[in-house]
Amino acid sequence: MTISLSIVLWLPLAAGIIALALPGALARWVSLLGAAMVLAYAAVIAIDYDTGAGGLQYVTDETWIRSLGVHYTLAVSGLNVFLILLTAITFFAAALWVALKDTDLPKPGLYAFLMGLAQSGVLGAFLAQDLALFVVFFDLMLVPFFFLTLVWGGPDRGPAVLKLFIYTLVGSLLMLVGAIATGVLAKAGAGHHVSFLFSDLQRAPLGKGSQEWIFLVFALAFLIKMPAFPFHGWMPDGYLQMPIPVLAVFSAVLSKVAAYGFLQVALPLFPRGAVQYQELLMLLSLASILYGSAMAFSTSQVRLILGYSSVAQLGFITLGIFALNQQGVDGALIQAVNHGLVAAPLIFIVALLAARSGGSEDLRDMGGIAFRAPILAAVFLVLTLALLAMPGSSNFIGEFLILLGAFKSKLAIALIASTGVGMAAVYALRLYIRSMHNRVGPKVESRELSRADGFVLVPLTIAIVAFALYPQAALHAGERDVRARLAPVAAVQHGGAADLAAAVRRGASR
Amino acid sequence: MSIQTAAWLVLALPLAGSLKLALGFRFWRGAMAGWIGTAAVGLAFVFALVTLVKLLDLPAEQRHVASSLWDLANVGGVHIRLGIYIDPLSTLMILVVSGVSTLIHLYSVGYMRSDEGYTRFFSYLNFFVFSMLLLVLAGNLALLIVGWAFVGAASYFLISFWYRRSTATNAGIKAFVINVIGDVGLVLGTFFIFRRMGVLDYGPLFHGVQHAFDKNEASLVAGMILILVGAFAKSAQIPFHTWLPDAMEGPTPVSSLIHAATMVTAGVYLIGRLHPLFEWAPTAADVGAVVGALTLLVAGTIGLAVTDLKRVIAYSTMSQIGYMIMGVSAAAYTGGFFHLTTHAFFKALLFMSAGSVIAAMGNEQSLDKISGFRKAMPFTFRCFLVGGLALSAFPLMSGFFSKDDLLYEVGQRGGWYYGLYAAGYIGSLFTVIYTWRMIFRTFWGEPCEQALALEHGHLYHAPHPFNPANGEVEDTGVGFPGPDHHIAEQTWQMKAAMSALALLSIAGGLLLLPFESLEPLRKFLEPTFADSIVAHPKNTGLETVGLVLSSVIAVAGIAFAYATWVTNAGGAARWQQRFAPLHNLFVNKWYFDELIDLAVVRPLAAFGRWGRDTFERIVVSGALVGGTSGIVKSGSAAVRGLQTGLLRGYAGLVVGGMFAVVLYFLLRAA
Repeated sequence: MTISLSIVLWLPLAAGIIALALPGALARWVSLLGAAMVLAYAAVIAIDYDTGAGGLQYVTDETWIRSLGVHYTLAVSGLNVFLILLTAITFFAAALWVALKDTDLPKPGLYAFLMGLAQSGVLGAFLAQDLALFVVFFDLMLVPFFFLTLVWGGPDRGPAVLKLFIYTLVGSLLMLVGAIATGVLAKAGAGHHVSFLFSDLQRAPLGKGSQEWIFLVFALAFLIKMPAFPFHGWMPDGYLQMPIPVLAVFSAVLSKVAAYGFLQVALPLFPRGAVQYQELLMLLSLASILYGSAMAFSTSQVRLILGYSSVAQLGFITLGIFALNQQGVDGALIQAVNHGLVAAPLIFIVALLAARSGGSEDLRDMGGIAFRAPILAAVFLVLTLALLAMPGSSNFIGEFLILLGAFKSKLAIALIASTGVGMAAVYALRLYIRSMHNRVGPKVESRELSRADGFVLVPLTIAIVAFALYPQAALHAGERDVRARLAPVAAVQHGGAADLAAAVRRGASR
Repeated sequence: MSIQTAAWLVLALPLAGSLKLALGFRFWRGAMAGWIGTAAVGLAFVFALVTLVKLLDLPAEQRHVASSLWDLANVGGVHIRLGIYIDPLSTLMILVVSGVSTLIHLYSVGYMRSDEGYTRFFSYLNFFVFSMLLLVLAGNLALLIVGWAFVGAASYFLISFWYRRSTATNAGIKAFVINVIGDVGLVLGTFFIFRRMGVLDYGPLFHGVQHAFDKNEASLVAGMILILVGAFAKSAQIPFHTWLPDAMEGPTPVSSLIHAATMVTAGVYLIGRLHPLFEWAPTAADVGAVVGALTLLVAGTIGLAVTDLKRVIAYSTMSQIGYMIMGVSAAAYTGGFFHLTTHAFFKALLFMSAGSVIAAMGNEQSLDKISGFRKAMPFTFRCFLVGGLALSAFPLMSGFFSKDDLLYEVGQRGGWYYGLYAAGYIGSLFTVIYTWRMIFRTFWGEPCEQALALEHGHLYHAPHPFNPANGEVEDTGVGFPGPDHHIAEQTWQMKAAMSALALLSIAGGLLLLPFESLEPLRKFLEPTFADSIVAHPKNTGLETVGLVLSSVIAVAGIAFAYATWVTNAGGAARWQQRFAPLHNLFVNKWYFDELIDLAVVRPLAAFGRWGRDTFERIVVSGALVGGTSGIVKSGSAAVRGLQTGLLRGYAGLVVGGMFAVVLYFLLRAA
């Protein structure tokens, strides 16, 4: 079967551009159609991808800027295949939400265009097999979110966008510097020309000093994007001001690009840096887990509870990556998908809760919403249990592998991190009980999901349950590529500096 | 039908029942829902019997069958199958669980009849049975953890079943969180074992442990102690027990099923299941035995002092599970599981009887208000009596044989295990006294207003529905708890279930009588525990001493209770005065709640508050990015336009900066 990745990559933007030219309702439906086609394409890719072989498949390779050695190279690998599917699912859900529910959204054409651009940006970052291309998409995907928040956001969106912009700007600039330095210092192309292709760069590892500082630069950019403690300053304002469907994709997908970045860029290209700063990164993850969890059960703003829980969950993911062993990274990869699948519907739930408690998104104004809404209560309950990584959910398999990986590399950190599992139970249940159960809040009016809500939420919930029954699908797909990305790190860890390049080649060819 | 098919069906039926009720909640209203739920579990019991028959067909040394459906995860050396393990121990457990569950479902059909959440209740209850069966049938540690967490969740659903009551939701969250702590202990303990052995399936685990670890090696002991944390949390052992008394917020059938007969014994099952590992780490096993002994004593003393009828039974449960944990940790496996079985019968019966009394009281649970029900509720009284006699190990009742066998097997090991043996008999005395205190206060004395009304044929209703835990008037029009009450005397389903359990409580001792040729349970469990490396030297004298001692304690305790609470008005008050400090300690439940609050809850809450009110202000206001805070602060609504201007400025700066950097490196590269 021939699959062209350029089509799936640019389809969302194309749909957005068409929508821009169309009036009102039509724009929303064109945008939805675009998202549906991407979803179908992504599903075909996920089914068709040969997990037995692993590695890069459906490769598109063009030289883009010859003088700079930048290639337009796209490919699906075991690392990104399920993240692409996740992206398609969440963007489709967001488009469906707007098409069915936000029918009075102002400037729907512009909105559709920006969402299309955002989706193309995210897909590009996942698909890119060239460091420069990755950086371009990584920055591109953020731009529409500034505007989406500025135009459709909450009342205090100005400062929020400014803060988001400044934080991510710092990260982007650093990353750009790091990327260029990598390309120029490695001169990895044929005949010692500059090349940014991941495959070239892996074959020509940098010296120890360069690897270490460039690793730090990338790590900082990714940590800001996640966000991780203590670089999460933009998160509370950002979460409070973004419109719901925008926040759903932002929370579900964008943080995962950063986690993916660690796996795709930081580990294979700068293994010495990764090993050198392993403990630092694990400690930062631990701080994110503990601090994020504690904050999540201390605040009463529903959006912030979810925001801080993301900080904690991303902490787990980073912890798994920097366990620097197979189990930890496998767990991190599947957990990235799991968290995305759970985070998006939970953000939609925020809107439903607010609609039932007099417009307030504060837990103190809620309570007793479950009474006349058994389906909403059931859906929310499944999401809550998945969020707290209940054994039996796929999230548990992810967390199990992450903690096992961490346990094998740094016992003490894993033991402390495991308290985060208990704290997750506290904040997740607190969120559920104080909104759905207890006495009825002063302005609460309990009512069932509308049909439109059901169309968005029920399929997502079913997907979570289905994935819980067979997480091996994603684990198996990722296994070989994880091993390949870890090969350079393993070589450094085992001291064989000389045969690093050889190890990399073995890993790549495997 | 093969044994594997039968066992999978045991698992599948309650799950199917739960899903059928959950998805069809609009169709299955009224009694239909109750019957569907009961039928699902009843059929599971039938297939459990089939499993038993098929198992007995196999030769003794082949009575362990594994079966798996598909891989949940198989990556990086971690292989988690969706698989089950059938052997005499797991078969005994599925029989007890599905059998007792069937009776409790039947009881609930009547007891919960007027509750608005009837369908939801049976859906949860079926889900619980599924989870518990998954726990005992799981074929590897990972799936065990799944079942382990599922029963925790089911317990949470049912404790918080009347979710409009904040007391119920708080109790639910407490139970869930302590259970999650147990889950984490279990997971970490599993890591310790997995790190060395690289397997999770029971078979290889049990055979390989002696090669992989040295006996009593530190990392194995650490792992097993962490696994014990899981067992303690689930089985309400010190110091993880505080959730169990609070769990009495759930409807009484739930207390009966989950918090007495089945779920709370999961810790006992876990230790018995992993006995090859525990025996190879005797230090960890000893920790389990000592904690069990402490729990049985502490819970027994609290049982003497609390005045809430259901909580007395709850502390009694905690204490009896202390016996079992002590027993299986000290390698008294047959005794431990024998007591688990008989306890399931008589404790479920006691809770059902208590539920009937509470219904007659219009939901009031305080022993200070309940009295004189002997004449008003003859059937409930007789059932309570049977349950009480069995619990206090009265001669020839089931509890007599099981507790005695347990303590005898502990005593057989000699040495310091005699200390545990003695603790067991001291605990027995507490058991008899609190049991009969409860019985005498409930059924003897002047009939209270509610009892009198019932004697005249009127079931009492409180003028306003209220929450017995805090006296709060309930939301009206919600419909749960239901507006009507149901007592055993007027509801045949309740009567049938209680009669069956009463018979089992009397005759359960037949499973294992203290004569060598009359021990069917020991023979049945033999294949599971054949690999035990702990010796049990025969000690006929000790066995006789135990039986005599037990009888004396039961009779003396009942006499003491009769003297204190029936013949001698004010006798109890005098005891309380004489031992005021002790009484205070017991009434306040040894201050465990307060201690945990001080040591865990408050520091965490303070950390959260500090983050929210102090640290977050620094981070969010942008100290880390220099000047943002100033800009944002000055950003009133009036200057929003200016800010977008600023944004443009920044954008320009970015682009300019990018070009500069690119240029620099290009120049260097050239």
